[in-house]
This record gives sequence, structure tokens and C-alpha cells, in this order.
Amino acid sequence: MMDKENLRKADFFSGSLVTLFGIFVVVKSLGMPMKDSWGGVQNVWYVSPAIFPLFVGSMLVLLGSMLIRTALKTIGSSGVKAVFQYLMSTVFRGFLRSRETVRFYGILLLLLSFVFLMVPRVDFFLAATLFLLAFFCMFYLDRADLLIRLMLLYCIGMIALLLVLLLSERLSAVLQHPGDWFVLVFSVLFAVIVRIRISGNREIGKKYTIALLLAVAAPFLIGIIFKYFLLVPMPYEGLIIELLDVIWYAEIWG
Amino acid sequence: MLLDRIYAFFEIVASLTADPVTLGILFGSVFLGIMFGAMPGLTSTLGIALLTALTYSMDTPMAMVCLLAIYVGGTYGGSYSSILINIPGTAAAAATAMDGYPLAMKGEGGRAIGLTTTSSAIGTAISMLFVVAISPIISSFALQFTSFEFFLLAFFGILISGTLTSPDLVVKGWISGFLGLFLACVGRDQLQFYPRFTFGIPELDGGIEVVPVLIGAFGIPQIIEVLKTQIQIAKAKKLQKIMPEIGTVIRNFPVIIRSAFIGVGIGSVPGIGEDIAGWVSYGTAKNTSKHPETFGKGEYQGVIASETANNACVGGAMIPLLNLGIPGSPPAAMLLGALMLHGVTPGPMITFEHPTFIMEVAAILLLSSMAMWVVGMLLAKQVVKVLRIPTPLFMPIIGVLCIIGSYSLGLNIFNLYLMLPVGIICYFLISMGYPIAPLVIGVILGPMADENIRRALMVSQGSFMPIFQRPVSLILFLIIVFTVLSQTPWYKRGLAKVKNTLFRSN
Repeated sequence: MMDKENLRKADFFSGSLVTLFGIFVVVKSLGMPMKDSWGGVQNVWYVSPAIFPLFVGSMLVLLGSMLIRTALKTIGSSGVKAVFQYLMSTVFRGFLRSRETVRFYGILLLLLSFVFLMVPRVDFFLAATLFLLAFFCMFYLDRADLLIRLMLLYCIGMIALLLVLLLSERLSAVLQHPGDWFVLVFSVLFAVIVRIRISGNREIGKKYTIALLLAVAAPFLIGIIFKYFLLVPMPYEGLIIELLDVIWYAEIWG
Repeated sequence: MLLDRIYAFFEIVASLTADPVTLGILFGSVFLGIMFGAMPGLTSTLGIALLTALTYSMDTPMAMVCLLAIYVGGTYGGSYSSILINIPGTAAAAATAMDGYPLAMKGEGGRAIGLTTTSSAIGTAISMLFVVAISPIISSFALQFTSFEFFLLAFFGILISGTLTSPDLVVKGWISGFLGLFLACVGRDQLQFYPRFTFGIPELDGGIEVVPVLIGAFGIPQIIEVLKTQIQIAKAKKLQKIMPEIGTVIRNFPVIIRSAFIGVGIGSVPGIGEDIAGWVSYGTAKNTSKHPETFGKGEYQGVIASETANNACVGGAMIPLLNLGIPGSPPAAMLLGALMLHGVTPGPMITFEHPTFIMEVAAILLLSSMAMWVVGMLLAKQVVKVLRIPTPLFMPIIGVLCIIGSYSLGLNIFNLYLMLPVGIICYFLISMGYPIAPLVIGVILGPMADENIRRALMVSQGSFMPIFQRPVSLILFLIIVFTVLSQTPWYKRGLAKVKNTLFRSN
């Protein structure tokens, strides 16, 4: 959490957002049936679907305004100006490039790409392996120089994956599950590039081996529990799951 | 009647202990909970969130064993890292670090862990007694509630949770609660089936699913925060003898009993978690001690007070959860989500719909406390080893579990698209001093508040007068008004004036 003065400055902005959001909720609620008929039923105001959101929206406007008032009482209008000046200053640009902020970008990049790009379209085992491998290499190896380079590499990989997925219909004629093959190749490439980058450092090399083993083992353990013991079909079942299905349901097990 | 209840209780205990699978799950979940609590960055709430997905296919009693055991184990497990590395494994164990770490520095870490294990087990067992004793009273009282009372109760739950959990301004706690209520409005309304805030997205028609929102709100901010700041964990102090002397336990028995009462009391207030119970109990122990100067320097009473209270809070949180459907703490909110998935709707009707359910919960709490004591005594030295695992190694795996867990509940990919943005928004809210517990309570209690206010107004033909005509609703209304007014500067100025006048007259 921030210190008290910065909190009050942030309160001005968060309070404004809450107030605006409250107004939006009220406006949307006023568009709901209040006294007119809905689905053939003549409404009365007290059973209207608008009544509760209207109350919630009004409370958000009231509480947001109270927060703005408290913030302004502490920091004054000069404080608000100072925030805008800070946002335009080199100090703020420095903050955007600070180590902690870069780590934050890295976490967001990995989470967003995993959830919105990979999980729905790529075999879960492969997607989770790449996700964990990238996470471990960026954060467990803990090398500032490596972090930004790996983020860039991962970004390029994700853009390329997006292109592959867009062309997947055409590519499928040549190769089944093109997205899976791409993630598999990219994961190997990613692992090799990291290995080359850290060569010569024994301690980091040891960490790298642990990261590599865990990145492969953890998705298999989690995936097998969910897929075969809890019988949860994976969001996208591709290359590896098809292979595992063949092994799991093979008649040799009796 | 009482004898029947006692007989039924022991019958449930016997049936649970007679099944080796249940026992295996009990001990396994307690151990897992302790590890979750011990690892800085992981919490019992997150543990329950992840286990909810894994227990989805189990029958309800088995799932309850698993989830309650992880709750009890996780609340206790936080004391390991508090005592041995001075970093609370969970917020619940923050007060434990005050005296636990100085004790470990003196080479008495093992003894401190032994005492916290014993006092935590006693705290949980005492809270179980309250669940058994108080539940029928609250349940029969709650049966008299009408829609107005339920609306006011839900509203009070959100307000009090916002008031007491806010780390900064109280108004932020309330905003958080109302944001939760807004999320509960999304989807088709329950009375007229009108789509509210769905923006034409068919997946939103059924409303926002509670469990993915809870996983996002509790899990994602935790993952971001831990990996962003990357806490450097100190080397854990070595453990010596763990088994505490009976004499020390008996000498501190009054502290244990008082702390258990504090824990149960705080746990039963909606939305207030184990961390507050720990701090209040620690503060009370210090204020009532004959030698308060020793607190903070390695005082056994300090660790006993905080650990007994935070574990007693588990049972306390069960009381409003089971009888009113209002979660007493954030992990209890998660537990409520899990119960709903299993088709159990806690509330006044639970004694009719599932007559033995409260007894089952009490029995599981008792068995969990015993399992926790056994695991704590036998495996403490092994649990300490998990503190050596670096956070960047397990946090991404937790991330994968959060994601696949959210998806598996309902096999809906849309849950993921909801869970992650909610988690990221909650991260920003936390960093700006907004508490998350009221938001979660708002999401859970929103449908109850919405449905009941409209039903109440339908019965009264749009009149609010029944609030002032019914004693329970009038009391609830006055408490709400007082909660709001007590935060205003006029009230504080007035209170100061009264104090001044009294002081002068003396």
C-alpha cells in the first residue's frame, strides 16, 4: 500500500472513477422497466429490477464524492495539480521503467497471454509448460538484464502465435494443431536461448535445471489430476492430450 | 433434547473416524493447509479456493472434511513462518511474529511452536462448542426474520465488514462492499428475469459466478504482489523440542480461554477475519498482563493469545455462515461458495433441509483440531523445510491452479475471462488501500439483499414502515445508522465533547 499523502492523491482519482461509475450505474438503471410493463406484466416501482442497482449506484456516487471531498481536504487543489505535474515528469517515466514496475508488466503479460490467448486455443499441457517456463526464467532466475530480454522474446512469441492461430484453418490442412506445434517449438527455443544466455554461471545453471524440470512436471501433474481423476475436459485438447488419451485408455492397462 | 444432540454429535464423530478414506483426507488436508499457511504468500483462503475445484466431484461431507481441515490447518500454519523467519505466513499470524520471532532468536522456537499448536487446537475445539451450542438459538431466532430483516442483515454485514477491515479510510471499505453488490446485480434479476448490465453478452445472463470471482479476488492480487516485490526469505531458525510442558499449558489456560472467547466473538461478526482476532487478542493479553513490558521481546502469552484467537475465529465464522448464510471471514466466504456448489444453502432453513449438517461441521472442526495437533507435533520439522522453497517457484504453479480451478467449476472458459480482470482490478484496489473482504461479501450477499428488499416492499405495498414496526428490523436499522454515524466527524467531535465534560466534572 502507498504512504498516506500518496494515498490521498490516489483517492482523488479513485473517488472520481467510483463517482463516474456510480453515475453510469444510475443511468443504466433508469433505463430498466420501472412502472411500464415487462414481459406482459404491469410493473410497480417497488418490484422493479431497477430498484436495487439504483440504490447501489446512488451509494457509489455518494461514497465516491465523500472520498473526493476527504482527499481534497487533505491535499488541496495544489495536490491534484502536483499529481498531473508528476504524471508529466521524468520521475514518473523513471517509475514506469523501475525494476518493480517492469516485473509487474512481466506478470501481467504472462497471465493475460495465458488466459486470453493460450488456454482456450492451445493444448493445456503445452500452454502451461510455456507459461511456467517463462515465469520461472523471468522471476526465479532473477536476473534484471534477462527479465526485459525474455519479456521481449515472449512478446514476439505471442504475436507469432496469434498469427499462427489466425491462419490455423489454412495451416491445419498441412499440420494438425498448428498452435500446439508452434508453442512446442517456441518453448524449446525459449529454453535454449535462456540456457545460452546464462552459460558460465553455475549457480544460475542449477536454478535453470530446477525451473526446466518443474515447468514440465507441474503441468503434467496438475493436468493429469484434473483430466483423468476429476474427469474435467481441458479447455482445448490438442497434441499432448490426444497422445495421453491414447496411453490412458489403451487396452494394455486392462 | 440436549442428550440427543450430544449422542448425535458423537455418532457423527465415530462414523467419520471409522472411515479410513475420510481420515486420510482429514490428515492430508490438514497437512496441506499447514503448508499453505506456512508458505509466505499463500493463505488458507487461497487453499480453500483451490481445493474447491478439487473437491467438486466429492460428496458433500467428504468435501467439507477437506475444506474445513485446510481452513483449520492454514490458519494455524501461518505461525511457523511468523515464529521462524519473522514473516507471517498468513495475515492471521501477523501478531504471532511479535513475540514468536524473539522466542526463536532465543533458541525457543520449537517450544513456541509446540505451545501455539496446543493452544490453536484448544481454540478450535472451544469454537466448535460454540458452533454446537449457539447455532440452534440463532437458527430458531433467524426463522422469525422476514424479508426486511434479511435485507438489513445483508446490508449490515457489508457495512460492518467495510468498517472493520479497511486499512485506510472507512469509506473505502464501504465502496468496496458496494462494488461487490454491483457485481451481484449483473445478470437476469431473480424476480422478473430482466437482464441487468449484461451488455448483450449471453454468458452474463446467468449472473457472475461467485467462486471464480473469489479465486480472482484472493488469488491473483496475491500472485502479483508476491512476485512483484519478491520477498527475500531469511533462513529459518532451527527447531529443538516441540512437545510443550503440561505445566506451561495449564499456567496459560486463562489466556487460552479468554483468547478463544475473543476469537469466537470476532469470528462471528460478518466479514472480519482471523487477523483482527489475532491482533485484538494479542492487545488484550498485553493490556491485562502483569508484565506488559515483556511483550514484543519473546513472551509466550503473546503467541498463545494470537494463535488461540485466530483458530477460534474459524468456529466463530461458521456461526453466521451456517445459520444466516453470512460468512464470518474471507475463508468462510470461500467456503460458502463451495457449499453452494455442493447444493447446500446455509441459512435458517439449514436445520430443516440438512438436519445433521451443523453437527457434521462441528464434528469436522473437532477432528481437524485433533489432526492439526498430531500433524503439528509429528511433522513440524518437515513442514519447516517448505519455508526453503523460493516463492517464484510455487507462485506461478498456484497461478495455473487458480486458472484451471476457475475453469473446472462449470467448465466455462468465460469464468477465466472474468476471474483475471477481477483479480487485476482487486490488485489495484488493494494497493490503493481498499479492502477486498467487503467486495467479496457484497458479491455473496448481493442476491440476498436484492431479492429480500423487493419481496419486502411487495408485501408492504411499497411502504418502509415495517422496518420501524418490527423490533428486530428496528434494532438492525439503528445499528446500521449508528455504524454510519460513528464514522462521521460530528459524532467524533460530539464524543470528544462528552468525554471532556465528564473529565472536567470529575
